[in-house]
Amino acid sequence: MNRIAIMSNVSAAAPQAAELKSQLTEDWLAVVIGLLVFALALFSLGGTDLLGWAVTTSVYTDIGKALAPFAKAYANIGGLGALVATYVALLVVLSAGVAALGGNVRKFALAFTIVFAIAYGSWIVGSYAYIAAVTPAELQRFGISWSLKLTNEAGFIVALLAGIVIANFFPRFAEWLKEAIRPELYIKIAIVILGATVAVTAAGRLNLASSLLIRGVAAIIEAYLIYWAVVYFVARKWFGFSREWSAPLASGISICGVAAAIATGGAIRARPAVPVLVSSLVVIFAVVEVLILPFLAQAFLWHEPLVAGAWIGLAIKTDGAAVAGGGITESLILAKAASEGIRYQPGWIIATTTTVKIFIDIFIGIWAFVLGYIWTNHINRGPDKARAAEIWQRFPKFILGFLLVFAISLWLALGTTPEIAKALPSAAGEANIFRVIFFILTFFSIGVLSDFRKLWQQGFGKLAAVYVISLFGFVIWVGLLISWIFFSGIKPPLAS
Amino acid sequence: MSETKQNEVFAAQEFEPLLPIEKKLIGWSFGLGIFLLVVLAIANQYLPANL
Repeated sequence: MNRIAIMSNVSAAAPQAAELKSQLTEDWLAVVIGLLVFALALFSLGGTDLLGWAVTTSVYTDIGKALAPFAKAYANIGGLGALVATYVALLVVLSAGVAALGGNVRKFALAFTIVFAIAYGSWIVGSYAYIAAVTPAELQRFGISWSLKLTNEAGFIVALLAGIVIANFFPRFAEWLKEAIRPELYIKIAIVILGATVAVTAAGRLNLASSLLIRGVAAIIEAYLIYWAVVYFVARKWFGFSREWSAPLASGISICGVAAAIATGGAIRARPAVPVLVSSLVVIFAVVEVLILPFLAQAFLWHEPLVAGAWIGLAIKTDGAAVAGGGITESLILAKAASEGIRYQPGWIIATTTTVKIFIDIFIGIWAFVLGYIWTNHINRGPDKARAAEIWQRFPKFILGFLLVFAISLWLALGTTPEIAKALPSAAGEANIFRVIFFILTFFSIGVLSDFRKLWQQGFGKLAAVYVISLFGFVIWVGLLISWIFFSGIKPPLAS
Repeated sequence: MSETKQNEVFAAQEFEPLLPIEKKLIGWSFGLGIFLLVVLAIANQYLPANL
């Protein structure tokens, strides 16, 4: 077999995941950028608003009123000025980051300009009242008689679809954009920033937050001990895959997509092509899941919002898609509940999804170590021994950023003065604007990487069959059962 | 460049029977997972969420 030829094909299909080495650096870069946004947002606690110029998008019928800066203090720059300021700030920070990663800054800057334009344009399209307006009051306010009621987070779906169209109908354009197509970086930054929102939400109701943490343990057991064992068995016994393919595939389907497949591949010393192909598959299925599962959750689980949040966290296998899927689910369920006269506080469903996902993520390094130990000591016996340092090497570092932001925000909310605690939600909200923008960039990037035709040509059928059987055969249903056992009856607080 | 079809790669793979250590890994993971979930589910009855 020609390994170089395969790697060449693979790198064309999924260039992001192929850069195994840069993944570790990308983790730290995400921590730095996420902390920078968080730190700048915290200045508002002392009355100095450094990020108030960031652009926000409201639901609109008149596009001239769609955009605005976050803070009234910056109202003079207008919506378009805020959009340009946000673009320039992101361009400067991300270009510096790409330079640190050793990327081509000029190419990145050009590609990012287009990526930002299409991605944020998609977000604006998704905020159109006929798409996003939800409640009868909103319909009345905008003077419209109907709406798809998808909320403004429909923009995520629009961005994803825009990316898929580019990947599948304009492959040369997709290739040109690739320097700025960095879904893992974008989502990791978003997750670091998300720590503030989750902490503010948690501080609001500590009892529920601690309940989520306890139930997160169930998610770990389910993903690592049950899903992994079953998927590995199915791949090995029913489909005859080798150990080299089965272990990363089991981790990709069971644990946390790209990061887990790459960590497992490294731990068992698989050829780089293996986790890369598995990662591509995981990303594609995550896209399909994001398009379907939130709507199923809205239809069948709207009366159990946290079951829906946990289910999304357990069923969708990449961080980006899962957390963003949680965001869409929250919007859809809050809208559905509102139409039934129940107004839940926002933030709890996505907090549940994120908590479940982060609990699962934290153990990737330990699981990689366990597999590395078994493979090096029992399967591929050789001079190598699994080193304890591998836990640290494989550990997804952006989780540390999330935990740091979460801990600082929780301390500010609970351990300082009432004035600071009162001002914190606004500061977290300011940081959250960038979390949303990085989500949009993630969705668009995932779409651009989803070249279905090329991946199918490379013979994904058999791998995909394992995925389909595992995902629809038991991952979704067992995830639903476990979510129901541990989360049913727990409702988010009602909005005051 | 001629593209190597992954299907051919999979077809050319030698069959690797499950080793005892793999069977142990699968069995212990699954068994321990079920046991711990049952324990947690029972504990869950005594640790209801307080809103």
